[in-house]
Amino acid sequence: MPNVTIVVNGTPRSFEADADMPLLWALRDLLDLRGTKYGCGIGACGSCVAHLDGRAVRTCRVTVAAAQGRAVTTIEGLAAEPVHPLVRAWLAEDVPQCGYCQPGMIMQAAALLAETARPTDAQIDEAMAASVCRCGTYQRVRRAIHRAAEGV
Amino acid sequence: MASNITRRRFLKGIAGLQLGVFASRLDPGALLVRSPRAARPDGGDRGPSGAVARAQADAVPLGVFLAVGADETVTVTVPRPDMGQGPRTSLAMTLAEELEVDWTAVRVRQAPAGEQYGDQTSGGSTSTRVHHAGMLLAGATARVMLIRAAAAAWGVEPGACRAASGAVTHPASGRSLTYGQLAQAAAAVPVPPRSEVSLKSVADYGLVGRPTPRIDNPDLVSGRAVFGSDVRLPGMKVAVLARPPAFGARLASFDESAALAVDGVRQVVRLGSGVAVVADHTWAALAGRDALAAAWEPGPNAGVDDAVVRERLQAALGRLPEAPAGAAVVLDALYEVPYLAHATMEPMNCVADARADRCEVWAPTQAPMPVRSAVAGRLRLAPSAVTVHVVLSGGGFGRRLQSDYAVEAAELSRAIGAPVQVFWTRDDDMRHDYYRPASLHALRGALDAQGRVLMYAHRAALARPGGDLAGAGGDAPWPAGVAGPEQERPPYDLPGVSVEQGNAALPLPTGPWRSVNNTQYTFANEAFLDELAVAAGRDPAEFRRAHVTGARLRAVLDRAVEASGWGGPLPPGHGRGVACFVGYGSYAAQVVELSVSPAGAVRVQRVTCAVDLGVAVNPSTIAAQMEGATVDGLSTALKAGIHVQAGGVVESSFVDYPWLLMDEMPVVEVHVIPSTASPGGLGEVGFPAVSPAVCNAIFAATGRRLRRLPVQVADLAGWTPEVGTPTPPATAEPTVEPTTEPTAEPTAEPGPSPTAAPTAEPAHTIHLPDARRA
Repeated sequence: MPNVTIVVNGTPRSFEADADMPLLWALRDLLDLRGTKYGCGIGACGSCVAHLDGRAVRTCRVTVAAAQGRAVTTIEGLAAEPVHPLVRAWLAEDVPQCGYCQPGMIMQAAALLAETARPTDAQIDEAMAASVCRCGTYQRVRRAIHRAAEGV
Repeated sequence: MASNITRRRFLKGIAGLQLGVFASRLDPGALLVRSPRAARPDGGDRGPSGAVARAQADAVPLGVFLAVGADETVTVTVPRPDMGQGPRTSLAMTLAEELEVDWTAVRVRQAPAGEQYGDQTSGGSTSTRVHHAGMLLAGATARVMLIRAAAAAWGVEPGACRAASGAVTHPASGRSLTYGQLAQAAAAVPVPPRSEVSLKSVADYGLVGRPTPRIDNPDLVSGRAVFGSDVRLPGMKVAVLARPPAFGARLASFDESAALAVDGVRQVVRLGSGVAVVADHTWAALAGRDALAAAWEPGPNAGVDDAVVRERLQAALGRLPEAPAGAAVVLDALYEVPYLAHATMEPMNCVADARADRCEVWAPTQAPMPVRSAVAGRLRLAPSAVTVHVVLSGGGFGRRLQSDYAVEAAELSRAIGAPVQVFWTRDDDMRHDYYRPASLHALRGALDAQGRVLMYAHRAALARPGGDLAGAGGDAPWPAGVAGPEQERPPYDLPGVSVEQGNAALPLPTGPWRSVNNTQYTFANEAFLDELAVAAGRDPAEFRRAHVTGARLRAVLDRAVEASGWGGPLPPGHGRGVACFVGYGSYAAQVVELSVSPAGAVRVQRVTCAVDLGVAVNPSTIAAQMEGATVDGLSTALKAGIHVQAGGVVESSFVDYPWLLMDEMPVVEVHVIPSTASPGGLGEVGFPAVSPAVCNAIFAATGRRLRRLPVQVADLAGWTPEVGTPTPPATAEPTVEPTTEPTAEPTAEPGPSPTAAPTAEPAHTIHLPDARRA
């Protein structure tokens, strides 16, 4: 019997899971939404960022019990029509290298733009400072955030 | 079947022409867009639109690397794995350039492991160098065949026809046929010999040289891209392994029943590399591993720690030659760098489906063929019975040149009789790597009274050979003793250069890490060159320029120096440092501008890169790789290092192995020298010069010469503009042999006086960093 219901990208999804299961693994293994990535499992890298009720969270540190009944937005939701300006800006700036951290980067940046429509460099630094990109795309990430803020 | 025979002959001809490989067992069916098991993920088949290309039953192969569809798409089979360095885009661009198709028509298919694709290993910055000419010829040869097919259909001379934008036209009559319409006929055209295939001149390129967004971007930014860890097969299990805490540690006990009691855990299996907990999904496997509570005997390496590493390195250092008579200044210095983990953003993982007589793996690998042979070897199968699907990798940096993670997955799949994904946690990945070797570098340079270099000697000791994690990779054992690595010489015309390498036996597995041993050698060479320049009373950039070995190095040096504002005024506590790197067929110079706070915090403001890599295929990727390599250089210069304790690795995640972050990111400028020379490498070229440029800039800012990475705040603490201003010592310091124990003195003293008066006896100066204490 399903014991967890989460509204994922606008659709209620019910499933059975250990209450302690991190949201990350529910998304990836139970709901087949693998755009959200595992990077460290301790909330240190940001690869697994998604939105919980509109706020950026590290899904490796949020249990399904804590997400029960709440709204989750993943990269798949953000990239669906209407495509979020950040996704378009990311393409325009040719940001990705390996691309693995980029969904988390975009989700973190989307939470920033939701609160601060025209962030300064310092605000970008603050919002993005715990998101690791091992390929070093930061300069382009910054440009893409500014570009999205300016309407792409 | 005449056309099949023709096609087969064509395929063989193309493969032989391009790559010097003769593909005797080519099956044209295998060259279609999709593998026969089309329902399974293979990480490939995407185009600029982001749409996954449909299997096209009518797509016609025109050579190993190309298939033309009736829908006018052309699918380029990319032989090299893409870990972020861009060959899926750049090699497809190269073929499309000569084929004369619009970029929007191009799709890519990732080649599985196979002899027909030539050298498939993405390592040594070779993807463009090895495959550029072949991709040009593959595209041009197919273009000639398409033109000939059209000319035959129209009864006109091929020379009267033109190919452009995916169609052949006959201008005199205005007739036109698309590639999709011509593909079948073209496949039956005899393969033209090389002499009948003309290649465009670089000046006529329209696509090559144009900044082109990566072909996978639409999938990468939407979560659709399939990395290794995203592969799912019907009936697939997920496993994590309890792995030894120290290299050589032996399994003592584990609680299988506790693991099996976890909901979703199905099986516990002992493997060579650890104990696998097999479950229905990842979380169950992780919880099962916790419950397993594996205990380990320390094993033979329990006493190995940082101090032991350093002792063994010290013991492996060769002796420096004596300075020549007549030397006015003799400089000695000892440089030191730690082990590095690759820390790919996506940890190691692999999916395998092993049966009695065959095995398929879905591997995020840099080296498909070595994976194939390693898996075949472990499962006692013929290599032809192993299929390696190459899926996207979340970073590689050399880690995925190894095959351990694939062998382990294949072994486990066979043991459980089901497809399985072996998942590595971050700490599994960081503590079970093939590390960049730690090293020590003793250098001695001698100058005459006029500041001319008389001698340059470099004795390195590298931590090798290292063990092996799963019997499938790592550095080959190196004999202890001294080798003479020619390629590790500085790229300057210096008299009396000698470089020798000793190897210290240590248990940590080692292997290639972005730029391989250029990382350590270039740090020591380019930082010591700075010391020599200062000792000679010369500007470090000008001193390098006076010794460069050729025009291409001089050009990148000049460009980086000029664009950086070298010599321009800076506030107190700021400095610029320059360093160069020549390797992988390319040339790079980088200027780092940074500031040091009185507390010793380093902040990098700007890095100016100039690079000459011959023909520039995709300038956007070139800039990206230089930006990324610069971030790696800064991260390993200022932040990250691997420490050893009790025979294992201390660090476990990005918390204790920190990488550069957004709020530390400097402005990185990339200047590409225009060139028509054949392409050089890219991925590794931007790394080696960064860390020496950092330390040279720190010296310029503070007068402190740091010779140990990563830079420690403690090495700079207490620095103030007053004491930090380089002021020459009144007299030269006493001689210290570099093989003695390091002194505990701080390394605050500035270098020898640029204007030190020549003395009858060589004035030896030695700066030894503190031994790192665990």
